[in-house]
Amino acid sequence: MSEVDMAVIKPEMMKSYIWLQTADGSIQQVEQEVAMFCPMICHEVIQKGMGSSKNYAISLPQRVNPAMLSLILDYCRFHQVPGRSNKERKSFDEKFIRMDTKRLCELTSAADSLQLKPLVDLTSRALARIIEGKTPEEIREIFHLPDDLTEEEKLEPLKNTTDDPRIRLLNRLYAKKRKELKEREKLKNVEAEEERVDDRSVDDLLSFINGDNGDSKGIKTSKSKKKNRRRKDQQKSTSANEANKNHSEESNGLNSVCHSSEVDQKIQPSIGATSNLQDVEDDIFANKNEFDDGDIDDEIDPALKEKIDREVEDFARRLNSDWPERMQEILSLGQERKAVHFPLNGNGSIRSRDDFKVRILP
Amino acid sequence: MSIVTKQREPLRLPIKTEAELDKISNLPGHVIDQILSHLPIRDAVRTSVLSRKWRYKWATIPYLVFDNQCLNVSSQDQTFIKNKLVNIIDHVLLLHKGPLHKFKLSHRDLLGVTDIDRWILCLSRSSIKEFILEIWKGQRYKPPSCLFNCQNLIHLELFNCLLKPPLTFKGFKNLRSLDLQHITIIQNVFENLISSCPLLERLTLMNFTGVTHLNIDAPNLQFFDIGGIFDDVSFQNTVHLALVSIGLYVNIDNEENNAEENSSKLLRFFVNLPHIRRLEVQSYFLKYLAIGSVPSRLPNPCVDLNYLSIRIDFEDLEENIAAQCLLRSCPNLQELEMLARPEEQNSVETSSNFWEDDHWSSLFAHLRLVKVSGISGVKSEMDFIKFLLSNSPVLERLTVKPASQDGEWELMKELLRFRRASIYAEVIYLDP
Repeated sequence: MSEVDMAVIKPEMMKSYIWLQTADGSIQQVEQEVAMFCPMICHEVIQKGMGSSKNYAISLPQRVNPAMLSLILDYCRFHQVPGRSNKERKSFDEKFIRMDTKRLCELTSAADSLQLKPLVDLTSRALARIIEGKTPEEIREIFHLPDDLTEEEKLEPLKNTTDDPRIRLLNRLYAKKRKELKEREKLKNVEAEEERVDDRSVDDLLSFINGDNGDSKGIKTSKSKKKNRRRKDQQKSTSANEANKNHSEESNGLNSVCHSSEVDQKIQPSIGATSNLQDVEDDIFANKNEFDDGDIDDEIDPALKEKIDREVEDFARRLNSDWPERMQEILSLGQERKAVHFPLNGNGSIRSRDDFKVRILP
Repeated sequence: MSIVTKQREPLRLPIKTEAELDKISNLPGHVIDQILSHLPIRDAVRTSVLSRKWRYKWATIPYLVFDNQCLNVSSQDQTFIKNKLVNIIDHVLLLHKGPLHKFKLSHRDLLGVTDIDRWILCLSRSSIKEFILEIWKGQRYKPPSCLFNCQNLIHLELFNCLLKPPLTFKGFKNLRSLDLQHITIIQNVFENLISSCPLLERLTLMNFTGVTHLNIDAPNLQFFDIGGIFDDVSFQNTVHLALVSIGLYVNIDNEENNAEENSSKLLRFFVNLPHIRRLEVQSYFLKYLAIGSVPSRLPNPCVDLNYLSIRIDFEDLEENIAAQCLLRSCPNLQELEMLARPEEQNSVETSSNFWEDDHWSSLFAHLRLVKVSGISGVKSEMDFIKFLLSNSPVLERLTVKPASQDGEWELMKELLRFRRASIYAEVIYLDP
């Protein structure tokens, strides 16, 4: 119909239309009361006088494509009728919202650009229902999200718990792998710098070799970890415990590699410290990620424990003086994203060093 | 690694990149906030592992709700649970950025006072608008004075707290809704609190200690719901008050009260409620209203009152008189609910009929729905129902629900017999 025809027929039809233009250029006309249900269109009509004819069609925001526009207009057409009961509206909404996730997201975006709050609310609730209760993998699959976080970043001490045992196992595996990688770095570091006096006993060597055979990475294995279990204590003692565990296991592995009094002073604390950090992180992770998982701690022979306690205090002192340099060295090992994340509420000896430029984030 | 294979769209769209398929991550921030706000806090924070873009999307959600669902622990160790919960809340608050509008903490396990103090301090710095705190266990918790500095508060809800604002407290200038339950507060602090919140529209007060005279001075108050033990209630400047629900949880002895008081409590109660629309008189409040010399009707009828619910002991003379006064004073009443108070049957069943049929029919001109519950078929109750049925010309439905199955048949037989003024009236009998 030409505009003239419209002008003539309009009074008889007793209906006025608003002209809308979507981003792709197509223009359509919509009944006025339906279109005015959208605040953005309403604003354009009232404040700027647009939409009365084809030439002055209201340009809709880019996020509104024709398919979405027709959905939104369906919604408006139903809801702008005043006489509907709440029950009717609710049941319409429930049927309306049944669409695939992709269209749901597009609809949310389009409704938001038209400032149609009730529809945004409806779609966001629907999206929330889809997200709720699912594992991260499921969510990524549904919404086609790229899995572009490193495993470390995933394990950061955010509250990203999951009860899914597979995920828990995975997290633990990643934690171990990371630790192993770190240990390897320390090893390289150590070998490059310090002179070792090798006074390992034969037993030590044997046990080291055995441990090495069991795990090509050369450090504590999950087997040995599993052997020593201890029920989890409260937080304040766990860091010391973790350090203890570390030391007790290192007596199999690392210490035999870098065993000298000199080395003891310098390397052990830093290794102990880093691994302590990892362990504290793990502890925090364990606290947070594996709430039900009480089997990460180890059991320690009391006599050994005392010795270890002393060592812990020792290195804690050294840590406070040694730490910045050590960190620089570790960081400069050329591995990207080797971030060591410090627990925000860890224990006193480790946190809150200002030099820790450790969060490597995008 | 289990997260390696991603299901790409089938080959019909080979050119679409992953980025194009991902429609949700690029929604505007406030929309994502809205989506995440509809999730429980666990799921919302878990989105941080979805992808790089989603890492900190959760950190801007303006609503934080920590309730019994946010911890999924099978352990029964109290300290363990408490520590975990404290950790979680600390972490979330620390990593949160942007304005925080709503915070709710309602966990059944015991939480430390210093922890809650710390969180309230954090919230008071972030222009919080809605604050809900429910202390399930332990003694009354005293919020720190920084809570009273939150001038952006619109809704405040406290359960099991002791309120003692600092001397410099001048009220919450933006508060519209106040919900205090199981609280301790002293008289003048309470009065100051109410009168210094000029925008207060809703007030709920349940089970309070320390206040005996409820003096409500709130010019914008629309909704008032109280249940507790008090001596006196009076309103000032409450022209907008439309919904009132009052329950007096203690049985007052009217004999001695009547000896002292001559002014009617009923009159005083209604003098400042000109536009009341819904009134619920619960527990023993009708006894309170019966104190003093009750007029036969109020001087200014409550023309807007269309719903009335009264808990009454049909055997008690004073209560019946008070109820009659109320019923005579609301000409436009549409819905009535009479709940019989389950008293011990120690009073002798009275033989007089309180509800004499005496030119009443003009006053129930709009009454359509009536519900009578908890009755046991005694004469006074049946007198009332008979009276009601013969004086409600437009009655549509009368629902009767007895207290027990004793005497059911007798009750029903009598009900059947009563004359009905309205030809449309349905009498529905519900099982006890």
